[in-house]
Amino acid sequence: MTVHKRRIVGNRLPRIDATSKVTGAIVYGADYARNGMIHGAILRSPHPHARIRNIDAREALAAPGVFCVVTAADIPSERFGSFVKDIDVFAKEVVRYKGHPVAAVGARTREEAEAALPLIRVEYEELPVVATVEEAMADDARLVHEEWESYEANATLVRRGNIANHTRLTVGDADAAFAGAWRVFEHSFRTNLQHPGYTEPRAAVAEWDQDRLTVWSSTQTPFEQQSTLAAIFRIPASNVRVSVPAIGGAFGGKLRIGVEHVAAALARKARRPAKVMLTLEEEIATGYCRQPAHIRLKLGVDRDLRIVAKAGRMLVDCGAMSGSGVGVASSGLLMLAGPYVIPNLAIEGFAVYTNKAPTGSFRAPSGPQGNFACESQMDMVARELGVDPLEFRLKNIVRDGDKGPTGQEMGTVSVEECLLKAAEAIGWDKPVVEPGRGRGIACGWWTMTGQSSNVFVKVNPDGRVVVNSGCAEIGSGAITGAMQVLAEELGVDLEDITVVNADTASTPFDFGAQGSRTASMVGNACADAVRNLAAKAFPVAAQIMGVTADSCSFGYKAIVSGNQSVPLAQVAASLQSGAGGLIAEGSYIQPGTPFDKDRTSGMVIPVVNSPSYHAHAVDLTVDEETGEVTINKYVVAQDVGFAINPTYIEGQIEGGVIQAIGQTMYEEIVWENGEVRNGNLTDYKMPTAEDAPEVVSILVERAGLTGPYGAKGVGEPPVIEPPATLANAVHDASGVRVTDLPITPEKIALGRVRGN
Amino acid sequence: MKTEIVTLRINGHQEDVLVRQGQSLLSVLRDTLGMTGTKINCREAECGVCSVEMDGRVVNSCLVDARMAQGSDIVTIEGVQEAEGLDILQQCFVRHGAVQCGYCIPGMIMAARGLLRENPRPTREEIRQGLSGVLCRCTGYQKIVDAVEDAAGTLVQTREGAI
Ligand code: FES
Ligand code: FES
Repeated sequence: MTVHKRRIVGNRLPRIDATSKVTGAIVYGADYARNGMIHGAILRSPHPHARIRNIDAREALAAPGVFCVVTAADIPSERFGSFVKDIDVFAKEVVRYKGHPVAAVGARTREEAEAALPLIRVEYEELPVVATVEEAMADDARLVHEEWESYEANATLVRRGNIANHTRLTVGDADAAFAGAWRVFEHSFRTNLQHPGYTEPRAAVAEWDQDRLTVWSSTQTPFEQQSTLAAIFRIPASNVRVSVPAIGGAFGGKLRIGVEHVAAALARKARRPAKVMLTLEEEIATGYCRQPAHIRLKLGVDRDLRIVAKAGRMLVDCGAMSGSGVGVASSGLLMLAGPYVIPNLAIEGFAVYTNKAPTGSFRAPSGPQGNFACESQMDMVARELGVDPLEFRLKNIVRDGDKGPTGQEMGTVSVEECLLKAAEAIGWDKPVVEPGRGRGIACGWWTMTGQSSNVFVKVNPDGRVVVNSGCAEIGSGAITGAMQVLAEELGVDLEDITVVNADTASTPFDFGAQGSRTASMVGNACADAVRNLAAKAFPVAAQIMGVTADSCSFGYKAIVSGNQSVPLAQVAASLQSGAGGLIAEGSYIQPGTPFDKDRTSGMVIPVVNSPSYHAHAVDLTVDEETGEVTINKYVVAQDVGFAINPTYIEGQIEGGVIQAIGQTMYEEIVWENGEVRNGNLTDYKMPTAEDAPEVVSILVERAGLTGPYGAKGVGEPPVIEPPATLANAVHDASGVRVTDLPITPEKIALGRVRGN
Repeated sequence: MKTEIVTLRINGHQEDVLVRQGQSLLSVLRDTLGMTGTKINCREAECGVCSVEMDGRVVNSCLVDARMAQGSDIVTIEGVQEAEGLDILQQCFVRHGAVQCGYCIPGMIMAARGLLRENPRPTREEIRQGLSGVLCRCTGYQKIVDAVEDAAGTLVQTREGAI
C-alpha cells in the first residue's frame, strides 16, 4: 500500500452517515415497519429453574387483537449456539433462568400482545436452583443442562457437567518457579455483571413468503443470523435474507441472535410480518451482558523484581447458556497473563453454567475482567515491595521481539511508549500533595478479530462510487474509516462514496461488525478492490492516453500517466457501455497467528491476534467521609497503529472510558437466588453527561502488520484498563484497596473504617 | 378499545389523529404517524431518547398521554432542519464528531435546543447538566458537549452580529 499520499486517511472528516443521523432520517431496527405488521411480546419464565408441565394458550388466543401464540412446538429444530448448541428458541421441557422464553404472542398492537401474555397458562414444577458459580462447581452440583453430553459442541472445548469449558494455559514449570522465587503474592478479585447499555433496544421485523424468510434486524452479524435462522427453521440458508437497518449501539450485545427467531416464528404462524422489540426490563434482565468473574492470581518475583511465575484461576459465570463464556475463559487467560514477559505460567479458566440469564460478548469480552485482576495485582505487589508501580511494570513488559504467552510473535509492541506517555500526561513524577488525592496507572493489550471481509465496488459513469459491504455500521464510525481507505486509494472524495451494507441477499460475506475489526478488515478489502479496479480501468485509460497500462495510477478523480490524465468518470462510462462497467470485488482474509498448541487446552481464542497496546492513567480525589470519587483527569495512551480518522478514534476512547467507568464505579446487575434485583434504569444506573469526566486521548501510532496503513484495532480497548486504573488510584488516594467491582463509595468508606 | 380524535400541530402541520386510551405521544408520533425520528427506549422517562418540544418545553414524549397533548404545538427532530439545510446545532454535531450510533442524537438535539433557549451562554458544566436527562452510551458525551458549546458560541455571535 502506498504511504506517501494522505489526502483522506488521517484526516478528521465527518462520518458518512452523520447528516442522516442528526436529522432523524435514518431508520434503525427499532424503527423498521412493514405493512400489515403484527407485534410480538414474549412470555418468560417466572422461575429460575423449573420443568414445564403444560402450556395452555386457549384463553390468550381468544384475547382481543391476538393473531397467534408460538411455543417450542412451533420450532422445527432443537437447539442452536455458536460454541455449544445449548440454546433453545423457547424452552421445551425445562426453563433454565428467570426470563427464559416460553412462548410469544403476536397481536395487532404491542399492548394487546402484552395484555394476552398472562392469559397463557403454564404449569411449572420448580427445580432446585444453581444460583452461583460456587454451587455449580461443587462435586454434587445439580446440572443446569442434564443432557449436556448430547449437545453438539466445538471440538476444542473441554466440557464436563456445569463446566462448558475448562481452559488451561501452561508454560514452563510454575510450581518450581514459585518454590525458587524471592517473594510470592496471592490475591483474589471479583468482577460484576454489566449490560452493554445500547440505547436502541433489540428489535427485529420478520416476514415470510412461503419458505423464504426476510428479517430486518439491528444485528452486528447478519451472516451468522442467516445461518442460525436457516438451522432453526430447517430451510436452506439461501432462503433467509437478513438485512440490517441502522444500529442504535451494540457493543457486542447484538452479535448473537436475540429477537429475530421469535419474530420469525410469529410471522410464520400468523402469516403476517411480525415485529418484536424488547422492553427495558427485558433488556436488563436478559441482555447479553459481560460475564462476572471470580479470579485468583499468584505472582512470584525474583530479587531483581522480575516476574518468574504467574498462576491463577478464573471462574466465568456464563448464566444458563454458555454463549461467549467459553471464549471469555480462553482470551481471559491471555488477559490475566497480561503484557508481560513471564517464563512460567499456570492459569486456568472455567466457563460455568448457572441458572441465570445467558451472557454475551460485551466489548472486549474478558478484557476488563482479566485486566482488573492482572493490573490491580501489579500495583499491589509493587506497593508491597516498595517500588514504583510504573517501574515494576516497565521492568517486566513485553517489547519488540518478545513472544506472547502461547508463543506467538507479538508484532510491533508499544506498551512501554503507551505507559510513558500516559504517565507523563498525568504527572506521574510530581508528588501528590492534597490529602485524599491519588493517581493510578494500568496497561494492557487486546486482540483484533480477523476472518474475512469482502466488498463489491462500482464506479458509476459520473465518477461516483457505490460500495457493497456485508459489514454493518454499529455506530463506531468504522465503516467511514474503511471508506476513507477506499477514497484515498481510489483518488475520490469521501462524499463521492455511497455504501450499501449488511444485507445477506445483496452484499458479499463479512465476518461482522465485531472484535475491533471493521475499519481494518473492510478497509483492507477496499484496498484490494482498488487493485482490481486498476486492472480493469488502466488498460482503457492507457488506450485513451496512448500510454501503457503499467504507467497508469489513480490520481484525483482521474487516472494519470506522466503528465497526462483521463477522468475516472470517462473511463467508468466507457467501460459501462463497452464492458459491463467498472466493477470489482475486493477481499481480505486475515491469516491465522501461529502459536504453540502444547501450551493450551480448551482455548478457543489462543492468541492476541494483531495486538493493540494501551495504558490508562487517572488522577482522582476520594472524599474522606463519604468515599465519593471525583475524577480530576483521565488519560488514555492507545496505540492505534495509524489513526485513520482521529475524531472517531477519540470518540471510541471517550465513549469506552465512560462506559467502563460505569462498570467500575456503579453499574451492576444484581442477581439473587436466580432473580434480578434492579431491573430498571433508576436502579441500574449508567453514566450521564453530568457524571462523565473529560478524557484526554493520546493516539500512539506504531504501525501494525495487519490494518491499512498500519492501523490497529481501536473500538474495544478503551474499556479494558479503567477498572484497574481507577482501583489503583482509589488505593493511592485513600489507602483502600477494592478488589470486587464496582468500587462504590460504600466499599471505600467501609474499607477505611476497617483500616484496609 | 376506547379511542378519540386528538388534534396536534406537529412541526407546523396540523394532524388529527385517532388516539387509543393510554397511548403516549411517542406512540402517536412513531406508530400512528410513522415519524420515527423520535426514538424509543425505556418508555419510563429515564433515557430521554424520546425528547420532543411541546409548547416550547422539552418533554419525554413516552410519558405524555397523547390526549393531554390536544391542541399542543409539537416540534420533533424532523422539524429542526431549516429550509437552507442543517441548523447550527445539527451542523455542530456533525462537525465535532458528536454522533456515533446516533440513536440518542435526536433526543440530545432537542434537549440542547431547550437548554440554549433558556441559557444561551452555558458553561461546559451547565451543558452537561442540561443534557443529563438524555443517555448516550457511545460518545462519553465529550464531543456532544463540544458541539453544543460551539453551537452556543455561534448562535450568540449570529444574534449579536444581527443587532
Ligand atoms: S423512551 Fe422516553 S425517556 Fe426513555
Ligand atoms: S451516539 Fe449512540 S447512544 Fe449516543
